Amino acid sequence: MNLLPFVVAGLVIGSVYALSGVGVLVLYRTTGVLNFAHGAVGGMAALLVWQTVELRMQPPVAIALGIAAGAAIAFLFGLVAGPSLARVDQLRKAIATLGLALALLGVMLFVWNDKARTMRLETSRISFDVAGARVNVTQLVCLALALLVVVGTLLALRHTSMGTSMRALASDRELAAVVGTNVRLVENTAWAVSGAVAGISGILLADQTRLEPAFLTFLIIPELAAVVIGRFVSLWLTLVGGLAVGVGQSLVSAWPTVSAFSTAVPFVVATIVILVATRRRVVTVGVVRA
Amino acid sequence: MSRLTLSGITVRYGGVKPLDDVSLAFESGVCGVIGPNGAGKTTTFNVLSGFALPVAGSVDLDGDDLLAVPAHRRARWGLRRSFQQEQVVRTLTARENVLLAAEHSGSPAADADRALDYVRLARPHRLGAELTMFERRLVDIASCVVGTPRLVLLDEPAAGLDPAESERLLGLITRIPEEVGALVLLVDHDMDLVRAACGTVAVLDFGRRIAAGPTLQVLSSPEVRKAYLGIDEEVTT
Amino acid sequence: MKQDFFSRTDVRGALVGLAVGLVLALGLPFLPGVGAGLALRTLTVCAIYALAAAGVGVLYGRLGLVSIMQIGLVAVGGWATLRIYHATHLPFEVVMVLAALVTAVVGVLVGLPALRLSGLSLAIVTLMVAGALEVLVTYAGFPNGGNGFLGRVSGGTLAVIMPRPGLGQSDDEFFRYVGVVVVVVLALLRWLLMVRPGRTWAAIRQGEAGAVSLGVNTVAHRLLALAVTSAVTGVAGALLAAGSGILDPASFKAQQSVLLFATVLIGGAFSLLGAVIGGLFFYGMPQLLSTVGLDGNLVFVVLGLGLVQAVTTAQAGIAGQLAELWRRLRPRLWPRPRREVTV
Repeated sequence: MNLLPFVVAGLVIGSVYALSGVGVLVLYRTTGVLNFAHGAVGGMAALLVWQTVELRMQPPVAIALGIAAGAAIAFLFGLVAGPSLARVDQLRKAIATLGLALALLGVMLFVWNDKARTMRLETSRISFDVAGARVNVTQLVCLALALLVVVGTLLALRHTSMGTSMRALASDRELAAVVGTNVRLVENTAWAVSGAVAGISGILLADQTRLEPAFLTFLIIPELAAVVIGRFVSLWLTLVGGLAVGVGQSLVSAWPTVSAFSTAVPFVVATIVILVATRRRVVTVGVVRA
Repeated sequence: MSRLTLSGITVRYGGVKPLDDVSLAFESGVCGVIGPNGAGKTTTFNVLSGFALPVAGSVDLDGDDLLAVPAHRRARWGLRRSFQQEQVVRTLTARENVLLAAEHSGSPAADADRALDYVRLARPHRLGAELTMFERRLVDIASCVVGTPRLVLLDEPAAGLDPAESERLLGLITRIPEEVGALVLLVDHDMDLVRAACGTVAVLDFGRRIAAGPTLQVLSSPEVRKAYLGIDEEVTT
Repeated sequence: MKQDFFSRTDVRGALVGLAVGLVLALGLPFLPGVGAGLALRTLTVCAIYALAAAGVGVLYGRLGLVSIMQIGLVAVGGWATLRIYHATHLPFEVVMVLAALVTAVVGVLVGLPALRLSGLSLAIVTLMVAGALEVLVTYAGFPNGGNGFLGRVSGGTLAVIMPRPGLGQSDDEFFRYVGVVVVVVLALLRWLLMVRPGRTWAAIRQGEAGAVSLGVNTVAHRLLALAVTSAVTGVAGALLAAGSGILDPASFKAQQSVLLFATVLIGGAFSLLGAVIGGLFFYGMPQLLSTVGLDGNLVFVVLGLGLVQAVTTAQAGIAGQLAELWRRLRPRLWPRPRREVTV
């Protein structure tokens, strides 16, 4: 069996997982919120693109609109819930975003029902052969964008003042606030940026897989697996993680007897990473709660 | 007569060494561990209770290798500990709190009632959330004497109490060795309490032992006064 | 000591809950309007989901653990029930206990690696399991009397329906049957919370370091909690399977697990009353919305936003607010001197 097409498809999907994971990671490091609604925001953006194209809007404009909508949803949630979230622990922060995911999923199901649609971007119509595997331009965009976003994020974190503030927040919130960082501004920016990233990945994933609310919402699972592999800190490892999960899923789905288990790949990979991480940790110094 | 020996204990967190080749010996009664903030007192307790793993050194109590016992098995082995911040569970009654300590150290439930009698806590069926700070400290002490403890670690047991309450707590602490036969280690910044409670003290500074011996002798030695008591004023105010 | 035990407020609350639960379980079918037909069948399923909700509630409220895979575990319990029944034709009660054990094992296996790290990793891993279980169940289907491990009939063969338990043949009887099982299981859970495991869980929630220094093996006790709550959830799966004799993978989607989690936090994770409210919200509310002609998907929106609100502000949920109301009203309704509890 020629596995190359599966590897290529896996790399493409994996690169979008990674791209999306970078959005999750940047928000998590900056605000402490692990956003379970990242996939739902992407799904919302994708459905808006589909809807506006159906209404005869120019695709590039529709895509821009979808990305902007993703950024706006995340930004608004950060704006409204952010102050309350800052007061609760990390686990509760994450749970609150589950609520957002549920609400967004409800809106999507209410407006567009749960029918599986297909969305083909213009770029997906141009394709060519690479060593026996069919590759289209959207897939190249996915791969390039993932790399670009990782490098871009690293550079932005290092060389822009907003990036510096984000890193300051990630390492020590109180200290950052004391030295005069505008915490709210930085957090809101992180929400908007991660929302835009969620929008882009949602649209790409809808093109590569299927445009279905619940499916896109739960793509947070492989995206989270990428972040877990990145140990919640490393952008490069998140990229590697996304690619590994994507290729893993794709290869498992290549064999009919085990193809149903391909969705279990993120779980298995994340569990192994968690197990390895546990072994490295020597002792638990429990934090005494007030 | 019990004897606790720490030999060459080194703890490393990344590049920092909260304890650097520390050797200490304690013999029955109430013994103090003192030193300025960051000296390594709480880290010493963490080594003894298994929350910090030393990279070198050994701990021995009457021939038992303490470091070989996993953290959660040390209560059964005979270790009890209180923390700077009292650990009374708010959603359980005072009696249930002590009962918990009895159950997990392998002691019968009756020991919990005996421990409550020892600290003379009134109305032990109140929830932890309803107790005063002093009563919570009493529950902590009761949890520390429950069953047959061999080594009791008290980390600032009197923090947040007024002088009269401290006085009563002091009485309870000093009676532990004779009542239950355990060796008591006490970490505190309150020099009056240390002087009144401890027969011997060990002084730590920057993760090293700088002095040890009979309390009054150690506290009056010039190097201890220089290294420690200058900062002590700042700490106790 | 005996006197003491019954004068404790938590014990009295539990006994009152037990009595009210039994009265509701046995008496509700006599009530006009809700005591028959679709309404009764809906309430039956609500009661069943109250068990799954109780599992979520105990984990979150008593141990601070987030499990987002509970509906997946209901599916596991249901699958095990049908599988064991079709293989052995044992009485339903035996099958139910076996299914609960199978579910407990699955819950522990999932939690084992994550529990060693942090609460957040358990949340992540259970969400992943919810997603994986959804697909597995859709792929494998539920056993319906066929051959092989999966037990699916193929071709023109008719599916075999598992009969309802002997004591619960009609809708009325089945509601009472479910009601009694739910009340008994909840009572056992409540009892467990008041004895050694419950005490230990409370200590773990208060602080890891404090618990370890008391001699608590925190990982073992968290696993025990996962095992117990998974078993309870497995019972829910068994009852669900008994209700219709056959199960549809479409009822066990990953989003249902998230929805259940939301309803529990909104209902109140600190008491079993909250679990009952959670069960009502989870299954009753979509039904109610569709009977008044609204789209059931709006439930996701309402409960999603409710979850955000519950997490950020109202920690004790609806059950907590009801308890607070009761505390304020009681002195006015029955004024009496406060009795001191002494040993």
